[in-house]
Amino acid sequence: MPNTPIMTVANLHKTYGKAGSKQYEALKGIDFTVNEGEFVGIMGASGSGKTTLLNMLATLDQPTSGEVTIHQQPITHLKGNQLADFRAKEIGFIFQDFNLLETMTAYENIALPLTLQNVAMKQIKPAVENVASQLGIAEFLTNYPNELSGGQKQRVAAARALINQPAMLFGDEPTGALDSSSARELLDLFSKINREQAVSILLVTHDPFSASYCQRILFIKDGRIGQELKRGDLPRKDFYQQILDTLGTFEQ
Amino acid sequence: MLTKLAMTGFKNRWRDYLVLFSGLIMSSAIFYMFEALATNQSFLKANTGISLVSIIFQFGSVLLTIITLVYIGYANSFLLSMRKRDYGLFMLVGARKGKIGQLIWLETLLVGVVATLAGILFGTLLTMGISQLLINSLGLTLHHLAAWYFPAALKTLILYVGLFLLAGLFNLITLTKTPALKLLHSNDQPNRPQLKPVWQAIQIIGGTLLIAVGYWSMANLDKLQMLGIGIALVTIVMGTYFLFNAIFVGLIVWLKHFAVAHRGLNNFTLSQLSFRIHNYTKILSIVALLFALALGAITTGMGFHRQVPMMANASNAYDLALVNPTKTERDQIRALNPKTQTDYHFKVAKKAVYYQASEFNAHPFTTLNMRGKNQLAFKAVDNSAKQLQKSQYSYQLGQLQTDGNQLKAAVFLTPSAYHKLAQPEKTLTVFATKDVIANLPALKRLVKTAAKHDANYKVATNLGGRYAAYLQINSMYSGLQFMGFFLGVAFLAMLASCLMFKILSGAAADQHRYQMLDKLGTTHRQLTGAIRKEIAVLFILPGIVGVVHVLFGLQMFKFLMVTSPYTGIWLPFLIFAGLYLIYYLITVKIYQRIVLQ
Repeated sequence: MPNTPIMTVANLHKTYGKAGSKQYEALKGIDFTVNEGEFVGIMGASGSGKTTLLNMLATLDQPTSGEVTIHQQPITHLKGNQLADFRAKEIGFIFQDFNLLETMTAYENIALPLTLQNVAMKQIKPAVENVASQLGIAEFLTNYPNELSGGQKQRVAAARALINQPAMLFGDEPTGALDSSSARELLDLFSKINREQAVSILLVTHDPFSASYCQRILFIKDGRIGQELKRGDLPRKDFYQQILDTLGTFEQ
Repeated sequence: MLTKLAMTGFKNRWRDYLVLFSGLIMSSAIFYMFEALATNQSFLKANTGISLVSIIFQFGSVLLTIITLVYIGYANSFLLSMRKRDYGLFMLVGARKGKIGQLIWLETLLVGVVATLAGILFGTLLTMGISQLLINSLGLTLHHLAAWYFPAALKTLILYVGLFLLAGLFNLITLTKTPALKLLHSNDQPNRPQLKPVWQAIQIIGGTLLIAVGYWSMANLDKLQMLGIGIALVTIVMGTYFLFNAIFVGLIVWLKHFAVAHRGLNNFTLSQLSFRIHNYTKILSIVALLFALALGAITTGMGFHRQVPMMANASNAYDLALVNPTKTERDQIRALNPKTQTDYHFKVAKKAVYYQASEFNAHPFTTLNMRGKNQLAFKAVDNSAKQLQKSQYSYQLGQLQTDGNQLKAAVFLTPSAYHKLAQPEKTLTVFATKDVIANLPALKRLVKTAAKHDANYKVATNLGGRYAAYLQINSMYSGLQFMGFFLGVAFLAMLASCLMFKILSGAAADQHRYQMLDKLGTTHRQLTGAIRKEIAVLFILPGIVGVVHVLFGLQMFKFLMVTSPYTGIWLPFLIFAGLYLIYYLITVKIYQRIVLQ
């Protein structure tokens, strides 16, 4: 397996509040790399800074200092159209609350990243159908989001995130709003995509079950990476137990 | 305790309430403005002299009431949607339904009364400001115009408070009958654009027929009289609504078939429009009607305004005549650089004014002879004494005389017969400038000078010639001009606040959609472009319908106007388009500021 890094994070800090007023340091220097084709999880309790971290990595927020590089491109100082282009081409998002546009059908939602770049209609259709059949939502394409179940909605969101063949796929508690069987299906899907298409995935979660699908887990506590756990060749069940044990001691 | 909680909700959402209040204040202010004219009978009588105008105002009042009804229904649903969550929460924590009902009722009524009172005050100020502006810039003379008119204020208050009482009752029933959980999640309602071909076909045919009937009755106002206005009002309002309702959904579905609909954010914009389709058809019909009313009113006002100098110019070939002008007056005339200027000598007897034929033969007197039935088409004819004696237009010479001489017969004598008359000889100096309108101030000064030694010149409108005709006709049409412009401005403002309200009340819900698009990697340009397009559609559609309505509606005024109501309409249309465009740009800016923070 080639170990070329797809994303490097160096000495990342984030402080909220203006200088002089009461300040709060959410991230206190984070360093790590994600290799190409890796499936990495970030875990931590509420308030540990994991969502803040994800927002920096996914260009939704700017760090106070430090640098993030994705696909050899420094991203922390991107602005305007460069930023929009980067988001449209290099990364995909999946959110806890789906973030689908309820005014558009599933098909239109999935096609959106392509239409934004003015890809021809002829190319859009096969691309959407292809990703939809991979995710098992081909039959729901004409439905509006409010006509779909939570699991279906999240798969539409995943299809939208994947249609551009992004370098990185970010998930922010993607199973948070799903029942257990939908969650399991979605996570299986992530593993499959990760395995078959070598898409690098970064998953933020506080749910040990979701985390057990990852190859490597970073534990965050009070704005720092406290511990790292590698799955190696361990079966998922054992890894799950290992995560539970780690959490038990880590949060103390 | 609950009242205190309700007040906190109020404080937290002051921005939304600001939108609500400004919309309602604007609406009631305009209703008051309209009523201040419409119910002021002495103003209407003194300034129009056309009984139809007062009827038009009454129908206008009915129409505005309908619009207000829809508008308040709109504002109320906005208020309701803001409060649903709060009241749902109150219910969850165990508040009694009776107590909540009381709160809802009170809040709705409070919002209504405060907004209406502020609106009446604002409307009074607005009436004052706009009427001063119009009077000064158009040179109008108006009588009995009152910015503060109690019956209008009363009518506004009664209508608005009555409507809010109803709205409060409606809110009470909706909120107390709905389960608490549903109130909490009422924002996520399904809304799939539906095509029902048969029902749509019925609406299209019915709408077209209704509008056709409306247009026909406006064109045949002479036969139908006030019934025609009533028919047009009802049929056009309903027809417009049906057409919008039927065509809008189909139009969007049809547009989605084009490749261009799938470029950039176009598809998103179309989906946005179809998502809120049912709200939009109502507002678009109203805006189309207001557009037509505003544009129609301004066009008519301008028509009357343009008509005044034309009628003045058709009344006489000369601007003014002076009897025995002094040297100063002659100098003043010379300063005007007149096109023609002639001195005719005359002697006045009991029943006739005697002129010398030779003078008229040497310097023919020009009369304006009518051509056909049109009052404004004339031929300028130079008359010798003999011709003038026979001409039916010789009264135009008489008009230029002063005092009791205007009605006396003009007799043209040979020099010997003229010299035999014992009466004192006087001089009548007639002159015409190139443009009487441009020379109004100088002519005014001239008449003032003449009035110092000749009492006949004290009242300028009693004189003959174009100058006096202009003054007379202008005062006659001032009321109509004023109403046209005033109502045009009022309806435009109403239209503006209607669309503004609609767009701002939707902006909060759009915020998260635009944020989502931003996260997906949409450039700022694409986002602003999408907003521009979406709002442009909402402006253009009612604009087109409004223009068509006006083009047909002007038929009504062919009975009131001397000129065709269609002459020179490009100017008011252009001015209106300019105002509309400015308003569009402002709306886009505000919307972008809210949505793309």
